[in-house]
Amino acid sequence: MQLTINNQVYEVAADPDDMLLWVIRDTLGLTGTKYGCGAGICGSCTIHLDGAALRSCITPASAAEGKAITTIEGLAMLSDDGEEVLHPVQQAFIETQTPQCSWCMSGQMMTAAAFLENNPQPTDAEIEAAMNNNICRCGCYARIRAAVARAAEIAQEGAA
Amino acid sequence: MTDSAQNANKTARKGVSRRRFLLILGGGVGALAVGAVAAGPTLVREGRLAMNTLFLTGDAPGTAPPKAPFVWFQIDADNTAHLYIPKIEMGQGIHTALAQVAADELDIAWETVRVHQGDAERGFDPALIFTFGSTSVTALYQPIREVAAALREMLRSEAAAQLNVAAERLVPVGSAFMVREEGGDNLLEPPITYGQIVAAKQGEWKTPETTPRLKTGAEFRYIGKSIERVDLRDKVTGRAIYGFDARVEGMKYGAVARPPRYGATLKRAGTGTAGSMPGVIAVVIRDGFAGVVAETRAKAHAALAALDLEWEGGTNISQAEIEALVSIPAQGGTLIQRVGDVEANGGGTRVEATYRVPMASHAQLEPQAALAEVDGDSVTITTSTQSPEITRDSVAAALGVDAAKVRVVPAYIGGAFGRKTGVDVGAEAAILAKGAGVPVHVGWTREEDMMYGYKRPPAVNSLWASLDAEGGVTAVHHELASADILLNPDIGAPILGRILGTDPLAAGGSLILYAFPNRRVVYHHTPIPVPTAYWRGLGSFPNTFAIETFMDELAAAAETDPLDFRLRYKPEGALGDRFERVLNAVAEASGWRGAAPEGRARGLAAVYDRGTVCALVVEASAENRQIRVHRAWCAVDPGLVINPDGAANQVQGSIIMGLSSTLKERFTVENGMAAAQNFNAYPLLTLAEAPTIEVIAINSSDEPVGGLGEPVGGLVPAAVSSAVFALTGERLREMPFTLA
Ligand code: FES
Ligand code: FES
Repeated sequence: MQLTINNQVYEVAADPDDMLLWVIRDTLGLTGTKYGCGAGICGSCTIHLDGAALRSCITPASAAEGKAITTIEGLAMLSDDGEEVLHPVQQAFIETQTPQCSWCMSGQMMTAAAFLENNPQPTDAEIEAAMNNNICRCGCYARIRAAVARAAEIAQEGAA
Repeated sequence: MTDSAQNANKTARKGVSRRRFLLILGGGVGALAVGAVAAGPTLVREGRLAMNTLFLTGDAPGTAPPKAPFVWFQIDADNTAHLYIPKIEMGQGIHTALAQVAADELDIAWETVRVHQGDAERGFDPALIFTFGSTSVTALYQPIREVAAALREMLRSEAAAQLNVAAERLVPVGSAFMVREEGGDNLLEPPITYGQIVAAKQGEWKTPETTPRLKTGAEFRYIGKSIERVDLRDKVTGRAIYGFDARVEGMKYGAVARPPRYGATLKRAGTGTAGSMPGVIAVVIRDGFAGVVAETRAKAHAALAALDLEWEGGTNISQAEIEALVSIPAQGGTLIQRVGDVEANGGGTRVEATYRVPMASHAQLEPQAALAEVDGDSVTITTSTQSPEITRDSVAAALGVDAAKVRVVPAYIGGAFGRKTGVDVGAEAAILAKGAGVPVHVGWTREEDMMYGYKRPPAVNSLWASLDAEGGVTAVHHELASADILLNPDIGAPILGRILGTDPLAAGGSLILYAFPNRRVVYHHTPIPVPTAYWRGLGSFPNTFAIETFMDELAAAAETDPLDFRLRYKPEGALGDRFERVLNAVAEASGWRGAAPEGRARGLAAVYDRGTVCALVVEASAENRQIRVHRAWCAVDPGLVINPDGAANQVQGSIIMGLSSTLKERFTVENGMAAAQNFNAYPLLTLAEAPTIEVIAINSSDEPVGGLGEPVGGLVPAAVSSAVFALTGERLREMPFTLA
């Protein structure tokens, strides 16, 4: 099947019901997307499918055919002179020194990025609701709240 | 700043001499690579602090200098300073903190620092890399500084020779020296960079005769600063490689058959129809082991069901039976603390209480994972392990090869909390790789990690105290029973238990340090047929919960404010001063002396644990009988704080994980097997349930004396229990807490 990931087209030999997470990680080697539960509970495996956050561990690869997949590796942009420019969410997670082990953080950042796309100026309560289904065992929750709020600010500054 | 004898501080005086400061010099053209080994005071201290290593390896500290380096620097001609760190990054910020320590004494510009994981390739002893027990900074602070300072002086004397000026005139300015003008204070352009010195060097480097003077606190540039973590850029872009991410050309995926009950072993194993299942490359069966290698993880797991297996033995124990096993018998036990005479002073009013902590899963978000490459009798294992040594030895034993032929590459760890001590997955991958003749990656599923990972040992603590007519405490008796940590025969040293009569790690934090005149602690060893071992905080978690909640109960019985009560009985000497400082700091930050907001109450707890003193206040409510913690304040004194923001992050994380245990987690067993298999049946605290947390970091020393990753956890249930009591008058003594 053909999958489009971070604007690149991959031809992959995968069974239609192979879960997208493992096609991305194991077959294609994009290991930035993480596995935590395989059951749609923890959010570590969150990617974007046509811009919407999605749990790739419970999504068959065939469901992504013909759609645009974005993973954490595709969140940053390249500037004209080839420099990596971090997405506001990535910048904010570093600025607030949010990650500890960071195993959950690809999923946290992908969730946050999709959320802010739809809600660029969220309230704290909206951030709480949007981020509440992503587990962080290291306990970075207070910083995740701050990081998402900061990411919204950075995006506004960039847009202004 | 000059190196005068007058200035020599006390750390320099107890520093390493040349005899013990064995440098391994080398590297390619235009590079200075230095590994250093040391013995003497620093090593003894490391040995003392790292009691786990001592127990696990049986090595007596300080008897002979080790042959392996404990730190490795390399300075390239382009002025990049590579630093190989002998501890593993699992989110605690250790690579950053140790780089700060090294960069400060070596006087390097921060932007030139490149931090790498040290491994056996550079001669590091895997035992040193064991990352556990919040000991990394305290063990390595002094030796890293000594080596960095010595390296700086080597560069200085070489620069002096190259420039033909007196070494005293060279002033470090950040990865370079400048020459001070003769008879004046001006620094002369241009600077000579470390890279230039290294590139122009001819012949042998000379190692210093004695350890140079080390910086004083006022001279620190990096120590004590909230420097950004060195690993985060790679982590937020998805580039960082963890054990579960390890890859190599041609690798396949392995899965291993697991028993239906704890302790069951394979009586008989046949390949069944597994070999003809789609995608299966090999079925590997050997004594007590059956596994499959396939093209994908899903296919490997699917084929397990087609194996023909018969299991025997094991346990069918129930949760009720486990709780009956972990209980305090009427007599017996090992006396582990005796101050004064509890019996003779046990009259008066008696207060007593019993506390229970259940089993818990580590639930670290990255399950166990390892990649094995086998080439003849040489093996390479890339894995998330806290202990490359244990991984190496278990792989060597599994394949029957020499441990020296097993190379362990430690990857980033996606959370561990004690779970990744290298006991299982590396050997599984190695057996499958050898059997299948291809490199094999084994990544446990969440279900496997939850069901088959060892657990936090359940514990029960009973305390009683005697109060005189004035509310003064005359005696305290503490008795505890715990399932095993170090005495777990699969991971630890059962022989030690026979000698000591205790599990020293489960007993950690059980002594009563408050200055009650008569104190006694008795330990009961109560193993269970469910694997239990290291879990963040070890014994300190249940023991702090019990002792500190009991302190609150005593304060109530004595009709004294819990803060005043602790201050009244603070430990003797300097430790008591540290208690007072953290208690006052947290009381002030939280407004302890004032009233809590409407519908809320506060609870307090404090502890000394492995060098660190900390105190916690939580503010909780119980609307609709739902316990909710809204705010927390924690004052923490680990001696010297290397990175205040990193310290705060560790403390915040400990409080969240502690609160998750306090309010949610209970791992249970039915018919000899885990009742929960995934997070749906074993929920963890979520973001909406997390309080805001303020951390007050206190420096009480000119060196770090304690860790940060563990001491705080056990304070959480104690402070929450106390807050709920203040709010409702109900005492919660069994975790996880619920109000009926
Ligand atoms: S791995 Fe997909 S939600 Fe946990
Ligand atoms: S940072 Fe470790 S699980 Fe979130």
